[in-house]
Amino acid sequence: MKEIQQRHHKLLILYATQTGNALDASERLAREAERRACPINLLSLHQYDPNLLPQEEAVVFVVSTTGQGDTPDSMKVFWRFLLQRSLSQHWLKGVHYTVFGLGDSGYQKYNFVAKKLDKRLKDLGGTTILERGLGDDQHPSGYEGTLDPWMSSLWRILNTIKPEFLPNGPDVSIQDTVLIDQPKVQITYHNIESHFSTASDTGSVRSMHPGKSSSDRSGHPDCFLKMVKNLPLTRANCGKDVRHFEFELESHAIKYDTGDVLEILPGQDSAEVDAFIRRCDLDPDAFISISPRGTDDCNGHGSRIPIQLKTFVELTMDVASASPRRYFFEVMSFFATAEHEKERLQYFSSPEGRDDLYQYNQKERRTVLEVLEDFPSVQMPLEWLIQLVPMLKTRAFSISSSQSVHPNQVHLTVSVVSWTTPYKRKKKGFCSSWLATLDPCNAVGIPAWFHKGSLPTPSPSLPLILVGPGTGCAPFRGFIEERALQSKTISTAPIMFFFGCWNEDGDFLYKDLWLNHSQNNGVLSEANGGGFYVAFSRDQPEKVYVQHKMKEHSGRVWNLLADGAAVYIAGSSTKMPTDVTSAFEEIVSKENEVSKEDAVRWIRALERCGKYHIEAWS
Amino acid sequence: MSFHPFSHFQFTIRFTDAAKMYGAVLACTDEAVLPVSQVFDAIRELGNEGVEKLDPLVITSASSLSKFPVESSSVDLVVLIWKSLDFPIDQLTQEVLRVLKAGGTTLIHKSSQSAVGSGDKMIPDLENKLLLAGFSEIQALQSSVIKAKKPSWKIGSSFALKKFVKSSPKVQIDFDSDLIDKNSLLSEEDLKKPELPSGDCEIGPTRKACKNCSCGRAEEEEKVLKLGLTAEQINNPQSACGSCGLGDAFRCSTCPYKGLPAFKMGETVLLLSPSLKLFGVISLVCPVA
Repeated sequence: MKEIQQRHHKLLILYATQTGNALDASERLAREAERRACPINLLSLHQYDPNLLPQEEAVVFVVSTTGQGDTPDSMKVFWRFLLQRSLSQHWLKGVHYTVFGLGDSGYQKYNFVAKKLDKRLKDLGGTTILERGLGDDQHPSGYEGTLDPWMSSLWRILNTIKPEFLPNGPDVSIQDTVLIDQPKVQITYHNIESHFSTASDTGSVRSMHPGKSSSDRSGHPDCFLKMVKNLPLTRANCGKDVRHFEFELESHAIKYDTGDVLEILPGQDSAEVDAFIRRCDLDPDAFISISPRGTDDCNGHGSRIPIQLKTFVELTMDVASASPRRYFFEVMSFFATAEHEKERLQYFSSPEGRDDLYQYNQKERRTVLEVLEDFPSVQMPLEWLIQLVPMLKTRAFSISSSQSVHPNQVHLTVSVVSWTTPYKRKKKGFCSSWLATLDPCNAVGIPAWFHKGSLPTPSPSLPLILVGPGTGCAPFRGFIEERALQSKTISTAPIMFFFGCWNEDGDFLYKDLWLNHSQNNGVLSEANGGGFYVAFSRDQPEKVYVQHKMKEHSGRVWNLLADGAAVYIAGSSTKMPTDVTSAFEEIVSKENEVSKEDAVRWIRALERCGKYHIEAWS
Repeated sequence: MSFHPFSHFQFTIRFTDAAKMYGAVLACTDEAVLPVSQVFDAIRELGNEGVEKLDPLVITSASSLSKFPVESSSVDLVVLIWKSLDFPIDQLTQEVLRVLKAGGTTLIHKSSQSAVGSGDKMIPDLENKLLLAGFSEIQALQSSVIKAKKPSWKIGSSFALKKFVKSSPKVQIDFDSDLIDKNSLLSEEDLKKPELPSGDCEIGPTRKACKNCSCGRAEEEEKVLKLGLTAEQINNPQSACGSCGLGDAFRCSTCPYKGLPAFKMGETVLLLSPSLKLFGVISLVCPVA
């Protein structure tokens, strides 16, 4: 018989974030709770022991759903725990909970994670505080559109069922002349003699930023890369700019497999960093150390080592790419001296101005620098800047080389992104355009991390069906290169590869490579049981995509599936994986003369036993 | 008859004549000596009679072997009895796959002399490796025994294998048998596709291009862009509301100057060329205090 130990009299907020949105939403929730004198505990799901759940009094879950309907990485272990059959329907008896989900109704699997979590918690005996809230990216002001009214209901209801949580009632009065919140960090300035030790290496500098979390790659890089090749793969002016990058590994200890992911920390433009420092009235040559607010100087969290301010900004504060959050505008309003700016900022931070803020900021992809320039009277102290300027993030790419073929090197296939904003301003992808400007002759060391992605390295005797239009071909270049090398010494299973692009003479990436391997009994040759097929979507009036090519060769595809082939799908589109999966289902259904439902179940089973992999990025 | 390809989930013990089922048997062990009775005991786990009638070829001290001295596709059953912790999975699975006939079976006995607890992880790892190597119908019979089959493919066969029942790989891996089916947590309502126009990028006059549009609509929309300002508006900007000059943060949604830098009334607005960075232009037009 379970004994109920003393319950924790705190509102527990558990979040699972993938890109930082759920983290922002839960930090906002925490702030609103603290303003109402409600004690809280804010944790990422990966930091929380699920065994403690039955002891909680009230829990709020803030969870994102990724593009393919999956849980964020930080939630995987927790979710698996919750799904155990052995948990009884009374396990969460007495625990009050609610769920807020962040998702995008443009996807079929809209907010699946929040929906499933909500149901599971109820099935385990939990009591709902209020109905789940579902934030939607498609809403005019994003997830905040749902969060605001949902939070009001939360405080109201919490006040009736658990009034001890809200000693001052559910409302809070905003005194707009006094900022009730405090920054989370404190800064110490140091007078540095030239021989004092200071931190300047990437790993140490980044670990001092308060925004680092244990699941983020902000520790020491696995290695530093030197670019040795920067080649366009597309014809000039074809409408796309895709590059082939080759890097030298400066360390011999690095081992990676095909299908792995490379994460790099992009460099920021020196002029932008300088402009930001000037705008914020900071001294680039000052030496600072950062510690959590309220700790005294003897706290040895490694934050005692002083860093040069300019280095800190360069390596950790994203000044010219990421957009600040709503809270940034709220804090700005307190530091604006011009009346019209203060008013406007307060408007943006209010529920009434939320939609307009979304238009001006998030949809336009306003950078921190742009926002500060638009509100010239605002002077924010460094403590707040460090807390609120988004942390410079690493960017991940699928590795497109095989280390057996290119020892000591790693290759990437990158599309240099550019677009026009709703206000008609031209913008470029931060990391991709930075990489494109790098010159192998003046190679700088790029901090890099290696890790597994969702594409496990196939063994040579496993037949493969690969579908990778556009830059989706990147990991498959590694697979195919590696198998070609292996086929020289051992017998290997065939590969069928479906590629897609716009025009044969425009963006047919790695054309010669694929054609080479599909001739002379190569690994992609039909003679060997494989195949290479391309869909050129714009070479004719009607659109032809990879799924059309797959269905054209339905018989060959089924043959390979029946032989035990594994399926890998990769690419940068929201719809492509769904369309391709439908094509597989149609093929299975047609070739075996069974119903669509049976085919769907067959493909799902393939997925469950680890032979159906999708890596989709946006 | 409603078809369900995975109805044969449980392994059923059938008593058949072993000699008829497994004509050619290869047993392989890393030990220097192995009594033949151990091989027979292992094979008996497959639930067959007449095991003694078999004449298995036994290879001992196999850890030093890189290849089995056996012809490809010649063996119906391979029994691996491995005692040491050093189990060269990749090499062995390659070889087993090579010597087995299509449709042949392998039985792997791996003793877990390692510390308590690590044995639990071993079986799923091995199952995974076998799966990735191309084996099918992988089953864990006991805590340290795995059975698997080599699927019956022929490379380059040109006829379609039509019959579902005979040729579909019946994979039975189910690491998650102790977890509930998460798809059961969704209601009819949840599964209904959300109300957005789905994927047909051509229809709908109000539908805008997607974030990562690949069908060409985004470019078409771009081509139609015009600044929408007259020469007068650019050279002598006036504003009834007074906010246009303050920059995007203060402009109405219908402001014709949206997207342009801040300016002073009467002074020529500097049009932004795509290569100029926004902050650079602002510092020319609107002196920052």
